[in-house]
Amino acid sequence: MSDVLLQVENVGIRFGGLQALEGLNLTVRDKELCCIIGPNGAGKSTFLNVLTGTLRPTSGSVRFLGDDIAGLPLHRIARLGIARKFQIPSVFPSLSVEDNLKVARWGAPSPARPVGELLELVALSNRAATLAGELAHGQKQWLEIGMALAIEPRLLLLDEPTAGMTPQETLATAEMLLRLKGEFSIVAVEHDIRFVRALNCETLVLHQGRRLRSGPFHDIETDEMVRDVYLGRR
Amino acid sequence: MIARDRNWLLIFAVCAALAVLYPLFADGYQLTVIRDALIFGLFAASLDFFWGRTGILCFGHAAFFGIGGYIMALITLNDAIPFGSLLGIMGAVAGAAFIAAIIGYFLFFGGIRGSYFTIVTLAMGVICQQAAVSWSSVTGGDSGLIGIPPIEFDLGGTHVDLSQDLPSYIFVAAIVAVVVLALWSISRGRWGTVLTAIQDNEVRAAALGHNAPLRLLVTFVVSAAIAGLAGALYVCMAGLVAPDLSGLLLSTEVIVWVAVGGRGTLLGPVLGAIFIQRAQQTISSFNPSLWPLLLGCVFVIIVFVLPDGILSIYARLKSLLKGRRRAQ
Repeated sequence: MSDVLLQVENVGIRFGGLQALEGLNLTVRDKELCCIIGPNGAGKSTFLNVLTGTLRPTSGSVRFLGDDIAGLPLHRIARLGIARKFQIPSVFPSLSVEDNLKVARWGAPSPARPVGELLELVALSNRAATLAGELAHGQKQWLEIGMALAIEPRLLLLDEPTAGMTPQETLATAEMLLRLKGEFSIVAVEHDIRFVRALNCETLVLHQGRRLRSGPFHDIETDEMVRDVYLGRR
Repeated sequence: MIARDRNWLLIFAVCAALAVLYPLFADGYQLTVIRDALIFGLFAASLDFFWGRTGILCFGHAAFFGIGGYIMALITLNDAIPFGSLLGIMGAVAGAAFIAAIIGYFLFFGGIRGSYFTIVTLAMGVICQQAAVSWSSVTGGDSGLIGIPPIEFDLGGTHVDLSQDLPSYIFVAAIVAVVVLALWSISRGRWGTVLTAIQDNEVRAAALGHNAPLRLLVTFVVSAAIAGLAGALYVCMAGLVAPDLSGLLLSTEVIVWVAVGGRGTLLGPVLGAIFIQRAQQTISSFNPSLWPLLLGCVFVIIVFVLPDGILSIYARLKSLLKGRRRAQ
């Protein structure tokens, strides 16, 4: 059990009268890649907010390397080694691409990758001096992944990393993640099934705040129940 | 070095040269006018250091100017305290910083930002002015405290006496130059870049491991400390301290100086302070009630039309011309 990075046990969260999540369990081992999928409103983003400690679960626990992280300030969570890519591209528009990455590195306890290497990883070497606000949508998404990498995470949480991307960009992003797999753990929340298929990893399917299925992606993909949910039959 | 930094240093050098040459042409009275304007310029730079980099407007910055002034006055007017001038300056800086730290702690760590911060600091300024009026046994009430001695101290064997016009002008100009240069080098480096990032998206900056509230607090405290220094210098030069020095009017004026001079430039606010005070004297000589009216109008116009200050006209024209050339 020593290689367990993130341990989510029986997590539930209630907003007033709405039970947004209920009885969720998730174990992420070191250097493991896993996906969380589900239709709109399934609670994917809420679950990710719980994983990053932004939302405190009303029941259950979230442990990172054995410590409860619920309710810790954001910057403390980042310094534990949990990086997050937000759903809406959240880069710093009035800073250059290079400065965006620098700010990310400065936040890390021990940044290792130099800015030049990060620029190469996210294919933005020729845009280093461009203001981040002027980048194309897909490039902003990549820059944000680059910023998440800059803090040398143990765990990278991606909230819909391919939202708004073209199919080519989506596949390029999947390739980028597969290259990074093995350096740290990655949890990606997605509803683009092509992207998850390209990653082909352990997958948790959420539906109405509960676990519907979990297992390797090819099992999930052939599951009749999952298909029904995605097609809106249930 | 980037072109922007080079331009800034160039303008700074020109201003410094003008400040050095000015005593050759000016008489004693003109020197004291510029000297006092420079002190207010330092005050404006202190506000700009916070407002310009964080985007959060403090509408009660005169509170720190006033606190610095009163502490300086109380220490130097007390004959029992030795080295009054030096201790007074240190006390003024520390006092303003201390108050800013307490208020800022609750605001920044309580998640108060944007216009809410502005409103709370507005109230803080009013409270300070009221305290200065009401606590008359210490502050002298409405009439304030008079007879504050000029700054004098011994520095490495030489006795520095700032009761004369020229020495006091040189002293103030040197302090303004050093402080503005120091603030500039802080705000263009790592500290300033992270502040810009926090201004853009605080949650994102925090998710990258930056302690945003702490960084904002430290910036606010430094800004208040320099406002306190400016207040301390001013009361020694003017010889008196009054509740107006922490009042709403001064808080508004300093915002106008910064807005006119160009927020985020540090040097612009100093020039803005000098030019607007010059305009104030000229206009008030026609009709004293005209000035507040004009000040208000200028404030509204700047906020709506030129949010980046008068200096931004040049940059805007340039980008306009560039755009037209590209269109052709």
